[in-house]
Amino acid sequence: MSFLDSKPGVPLLESDDLARHYGVRRGIGKPDATVKALDGVSFTLESKKTLAVVGESGCGKSTLARQLTLIEKPSAGALKINGDAVGNLSDKDAKMFRRTVQMIFQNPYGSLNPRKKVGQILGEPILLNMDHLGRKEREERVRDTMAKVGLRPEFYGRYPHMFSGGQRQRISIARALILEPKVIVADEPVSALDVSVQAQVLNLMMDLQEEMNVAYVFISHDLSVVRHIADDVMVMYLGRVAEKGPTEEIFAKPLHPYTRALLASAPKIDPTHRVKSEPLTGELPSPINPPSGCAFHKRCPFANEHCSQVRPELRMFEGREVACHRVEEIA
Amino acid sequence: MTSQNTPSTAPQNAADDTMSKPPSPFMETWNYFRKNRGAYVGLIVIAIILFVAAFATFISPYDPIMQDRSAFLKPPIWMEGADPRYILGTDAVGRDILSRLIHGAQLSVSIGVFVVIISMMAGIVLGIVAGYFRGWIEVGIMRLMDIMLSLPSLIMALAIVAILGPGLENAMLAIAIVQLPHYVRLSRASVVTELNKEYVIASQIAGAGHMRQMFINILPNCMAPLIVQGTLGISSAILDAAALGFLGLGAQPPLPEWGTMLAEAREFVGSAWWVITFPGICILVTVLAFNLMGDGLRDALDPKMKR
Amino acid sequence: MALLEVKNLTVEFGSEDKPFRAVDSVSYSVDRGEVLGIVGESGSGKSVSSLAIMGLIDFPGRVTADSLTFDGQDLLKMSARKRRAITGKDIAMIFQDPMSALNPCFTVEAQIMEALQVHEGGNKKQRRERALDLLNQVGIPDAKSRMTAYPHQLSGGMSQRVVIAMAIACQPRLLIADEPTTALDVTIQAQIIDLLLKLQDDSDMGLLLITHDLALVSEAANRIQVMYAGQLFESGPADSIFAAPRHPYTQALLEALPERSVGRDRLSTIPGVVPGQYDRPKGCLLAPRCRYANDHCIADRPEVNDFNGRDVRCFYPLNDQGQPTGQPTSQPTGQNAGETV
Repeated sequence: MSFLDSKPGVPLLESDDLARHYGVRRGIGKPDATVKALDGVSFTLESKKTLAVVGESGCGKSTLARQLTLIEKPSAGALKINGDAVGNLSDKDAKMFRRTVQMIFQNPYGSLNPRKKVGQILGEPILLNMDHLGRKEREERVRDTMAKVGLRPEFYGRYPHMFSGGQRQRISIARALILEPKVIVADEPVSALDVSVQAQVLNLMMDLQEEMNVAYVFISHDLSVVRHIADDVMVMYLGRVAEKGPTEEIFAKPLHPYTRALLASAPKIDPTHRVKSEPLTGELPSPINPPSGCAFHKRCPFANEHCSQVRPELRMFEGREVACHRVEEIA
Repeated sequence: MTSQNTPSTAPQNAADDTMSKPPSPFMETWNYFRKNRGAYVGLIVIAIILFVAAFATFISPYDPIMQDRSAFLKPPIWMEGADPRYILGTDAVGRDILSRLIHGAQLSVSIGVFVVIISMMAGIVLGIVAGYFRGWIEVGIMRLMDIMLSLPSLIMALAIVAILGPGLENAMLAIAIVQLPHYVRLSRASVVTELNKEYVIASQIAGAGHMRQMFINILPNCMAPLIVQGTLGISSAILDAAALGFLGLGAQPPLPEWGTMLAEAREFVGSAWWVITFPGICILVTVLAFNLMGDGLRDALDPKMKR
Repeated sequence: MALLEVKNLTVEFGSEDKPFRAVDSVSYSVDRGEVLGIVGESGSGKSVSSLAIMGLIDFPGRVTADSLTFDGQDLLKMSARKRRAITGKDIAMIFQDPMSALNPCFTVEAQIMEALQVHEGGNKKQRRERALDLLNQVGIPDAKSRMTAYPHQLSGGMSQRVVIAMAIACQPRLLIADEPTTALDVTIQAQIIDLLLKLQDDSDMGLLLITHDLALVSEAANRIQVMYAGQLFESGPADSIFAAPRHPYTQALLEALPERSVGRDRLSTIPGVVPGQYDRPKGCLLAPRCRYANDHCIADRPEVNDFNGRDVRCFYPLNDQGQPTGQPTSQPTGQNAGETV
């Protein structure tokens, strides 16, 4: 399996109907319930591009992150890197995979081992995947990467709790970059940061994308950040894709009622950007007991009989893909 | 205030909020620990006891097992009828009590430390394996520990020593086994908490295998409660060894272990109080010192964990 | 007379000789029926100041103020008992994480009824009815069945509604909301903010909304205060403060928002970090990071002055074009270059 080689016409990363179900025990005597955390998500990602995955808690974006980095095996569907499916990997192939896909986590305070120095944290991926490098070369590589993300050399021997949130995210970014992956899955990387720090870290991520030729799967709930950084956006709801397409198309004219609600409810500084609308009522339905038909129909202002019975599939409409029966009338 | 001219990767300068030489985790813990007076006193007492234990052969005025037939049951030096050579008096066969106490320190400290080391090592391995793999492995190990905990500790130690035969080494092994479930429980609980944390997943994505995850990545983060339990375990081990010695199943005479000294002096409680009192005081002070230090450690390690 | 009036509130921690000022001479007021938004990044002291009002700053924190009046009575000068009678009933507070604000061992019903019992009394039946009434008021669907639910059975949004119900149970005249929606999804956030504003409107309550989200506060508040490292930097009406900021920090913060960088390649940033305990600048706290700073800013601390109807703590407040006024013609030294977080 040579998924380090890119092939013309083949996307860098392809998610082919990925699904992930969990069994939930409900006590003695009751049958196990199934939670469909992820229920058939497909997308492609090209080199040096950013795909944003947007949704609220329970939509399955964290589960998706775990599938993409092979922390968990999908229940159905396939993940393909450069056209090759990465199902059961041998040890050697697993190392190749790790050098291709890496991850940045949300919580700057939990994603670094408190008992390890920065040098050790950053050196671990090299130690485990590039064992042809000796100690000196490892240290050199760590220091190079630290410089790339703007960490001072003396931070090499310090512990994580001595750093601010922004600096810790830089360390996380350095760790993700150290194997020079082609894809980085960033799970809400700036959500826990202040506005001014967020701007610095986003700029850093964009610079690094240019410099190191890396593609991002950028998971976020913050739509203004997404609009700035993403080439394409995928809106998820209860484990399925509601709308997917180029960022500008979706932001200029959101078609799926959920996307509209999401964009309308986000507060905006500029009064002219604000959309006057009623906030969305109700809450995300329980994934154990999803509604029949379209998962969104109970909260949707446009829902009709058909919506409550038949689940909509993704189809092309006005430059993006939407999963809505009534999109022609709504548009 | 746009830094469009300054690349975001430009090196920082001194105005960030890390101090120029921030304290290491050890120094921080030490700073917190120092503020607790009880713990500090405990530490000093332990330091003295360790010193005495280490240099017992040089400090001790006499050989602890040498018997002086001319000086049976001599009282301590401030009482009448005392022999000025033996400051704390002598026991029933003429051995200097002070020398025996000093060598006893060596024995007790070794007992405490070895028991805890053996018990902790085995307990950590079992606990981490149970907590990391979950499922049947966890159930098997933890239920076994539950069974062990349901038996009174001293009775269980007695039973083990009865099977293996009396003697100091067997007593130590028995006490180590008795203490095992505490370490297993603590380490398992810590591992289960840490497993959910993102740094573990990050290491998994980096390719860490099970052994590395368990012992290199997770274990250092579980040490705080284990260290506290360890210091308290030392005092507990000393007490248990003394109890076994008192019952005649631990260190055998003529070893100057404090508990054994108590056993030998049982009949003299009324007539020669010093033979039984001084070993008792030594046990009390040592155990108290370890307890105070353990408490102080728990508090010192806690606020840091909370941060 | 304002409902809540805070004059020169200071909260200090640490030793007497080297205190750390989490809040430094902050003054503000909230009127009946008004929403005051306090906005700032981490370390700005916004939460600490509200905790000080509620009397929740424990030893070794030291709270001092010229006056801290609620409805004319000085909270600092009265006995602890009297103060508790007011802070539970007339001033209520809700926090960021609803899961930790609710006791996991008790049902929703029990917790609301407890709040009622302490301040309003009445027998069990009356309190239960009132609790049901409150749950309906905060928009919990099917309230009757939710009464006997435990907190872990509720979602984040529902829990926050329950917390709000407890807070308004005693009909407070002032509600302090400390980051009430930060832990919630954006659609739920919109619902909760709408709920708070509606409740506030219905009962003419004062609302003190503390958040780091500039966009949220610009939509929800009447007046806004911008805090930085414990000090008040700017204060003014919501519609104009973000349209025409007078303080360089407010201006920089707005520029750093992604919303303001649509179409641009990079985001504007504020170099450097918020000063911590050990590196507080001698002069203006923003001087090391401010693009307009000069020697005067670095050496001396500005006071809060009125500038065209806006309170600004700056020697050279910005004019309508966003340029500093009153600076001597010599060039400003500018910030230390190359500082990042």
